[in-house]
Amino acid sequence: MILQQLKILLLVLVFLVTAAEAGLVKDQLGREVLVPDEPKRIVSLAPSITEIVFALGAGHLLQGVTQHCDFPPEAGALPKVGSYVHLDLERIVALKPDLCLGARDGNPREVAEKLEALNIPVYAVNPRDLQTVMSTLIEIGRLLHAEAQAEVLVAKMRGRIEGVKARVATTQVRPKIFFQIGIVPIVSLGTNTCIGELITTAGGHNLAAGPTPYPRFSKEQVVALEPEVIIITSMTRGQDFEPVRDDWYRWSNLPAVRNHRIHIVESDIFDRPSPRLVEGLELLARLIHPELW
Amino acid sequence: MTAPSVPRRILTVSSGLAVFLGLSVWLGLSIGSTGQNLREVFALLIGSAGPDETLANIVWRIRLPRVLLAALAGATLSLGGLVFQALLRNPLAEPYILGISGGAAIGAIIGILLGLSRFPGVALLAFAGSMATLFLVLVIASVRLSLKQDSLILAGVMVNAFCSSLIMFLLSLTQDARLHNILFWLMGDLSLSDGTQTLILAACLAPCFFLLFFMARPMNLLLLGEEMAASMGVNVRAISLVLVVVTSFMVSATVCQSGLLGFVGLVTPHLLRLLFGPDHRVLVPACILGGGAYLVWCDLLARFLPAQGELPVGVITALIGAPLFIYLLLRAKR
Repeated sequence: MILQQLKILLLVLVFLVTAAEAGLVKDQLGREVLVPDEPKRIVSLAPSITEIVFALGAGHLLQGVTQHCDFPPEAGALPKVGSYVHLDLERIVALKPDLCLGARDGNPREVAEKLEALNIPVYAVNPRDLQTVMSTLIEIGRLLHAEAQAEVLVAKMRGRIEGVKARVATTQVRPKIFFQIGIVPIVSLGTNTCIGELITTAGGHNLAAGPTPYPRFSKEQVVALEPEVIIITSMTRGQDFEPVRDDWYRWSNLPAVRNHRIHIVESDIFDRPSPRLVEGLELLARLIHPELW
Repeated sequence: MTAPSVPRRILTVSSGLAVFLGLSVWLGLSIGSTGQNLREVFALLIGSAGPDETLANIVWRIRLPRVLLAALAGATLSLGGLVFQALLRNPLAEPYILGISGGAAIGAIIGILLGLSRFPGVALLAFAGSMATLFLVLVIASVRLSLKQDSLILAGVMVNAFCSSLIMFLLSLTQDARLHNILFWLMGDLSLSDGTQTLILAACLAPCFFLLFFMARPMNLLLLGEEMAASMGVNVRAISLVLVVVTSFMVSATVCQSGLLGFVGLVTPHLLRLLFGPDHRVLVPACILGGGAYLVWCDLLARFLPAQGELPVGVITALIGAPLFIYLLLRAKR
């Protein structure tokens, strides 16, 4: 943990030092990227980045986005360049971008390398939780000359996070949460994941806490853990989640079932490291501690 | 094989197929996810290019490596099929069905998981994997003492099934972004082909192609039976060993870049045999040129068919190849 913080600090320092040089900046992959002074044609390579760029008020600079970029609704109308794990190089190049914004985790490294070889700079960011979403806002804000907007957004986010923390601090109760992101197999999230941190911040006890980021569970294990709240979201879009919830309701002696505390939530505000993550945090806090609101 | 002399047949068949391959490459360069530019690409190819830098970039640096890799992979896998069919005297033999591709896949996946570079790290592991599975298949089949019969295919299928379960096991251990990498690779995906790596692959494959061309006559004789071949002065053991090693090397070098492409080695050799007869001196160059063209076409379909995104080319080759395999199996039984 401390090592990670040190690493981030180091990256920030390196960033500050190199940012002084005109155009050449170091991205989250540690590569030197020649970013144009005034980016005008941007292609976003991940849904979270699209949301960040729009939040910064720079949506008009986007020439292309990925298949699943659907927020804000204007993003859905932009040309698509494939899915973020399987990008369509040809479409990206045809859009003649002067800057691509990529995600360190998810976008294949080879694509970034190929784009660089074609003289298209790829700046990789790495938003993955509340903290890094805020630092990414600042980082992209600087690239796109939207520093002021970025500061405002970050201040707002910080305020909302503190708000949740303050409310949750008024109680000692930490309900046992089972957060289900996978249906078959049942998959939850460990301690060092974005959602794992959200659960803790929202005043819940994550039943899947542990070093494994995406632990798998059998039904038997979940039942034995006696969750007080079950929250279901899925990375597989367009599926019906009601049957999954009804399936849990068959286990009538589960605390979550007795108290009717099984909730289905929209996955986008949880699994997409965008400014909307703070909405996810607030929703989670309300579901875990309805008595505080 | 009496009417026109063999060299002339080789020349006519090869030049015909070379023209076909050339046309296929032109089509492959002209059609992509951003639309078709047949005329512009033709202008680019003959050198009277317009000033559009973006199109030139797309054609030379995105489509060309991909089309070249498709042509190389098609040539290698077709040739692999041809060699194994002659060597094992079994019309159903093919690198994918014999489990050689699967073995290469395991080696390659371990390489990817270890974070090795595609070349030479992953390629060497893939080679080791393919040699191991081939050895296993031959041992299992030879215990039944009928190398050319169905036991070989059966052993191949079993080893393949074992390989896939090992692959599944390795996949279940993987949780990060490499998973997508591996999944697309398993389905056979040419979209990330890289110019330099494709050239390295070409440099590795070219000597193999030549070597196999000069071994076409022994391959003809092998088809007559091992004793017959031996009586005609063929060192069966040495020739077989060279054929197996060279072919496995080619297949694993290709597979680690193109991913798993099933049934290519079945479709083209049979088609070409049907068209040009059983002489390997004609078939070896025909397989290189025709097999290359075949996979370029499959890749075109893969890019063209889906409205959103693209299909892995391995899906196309399997969709075409598997029914043909069943047809050949039914015909062989009769």
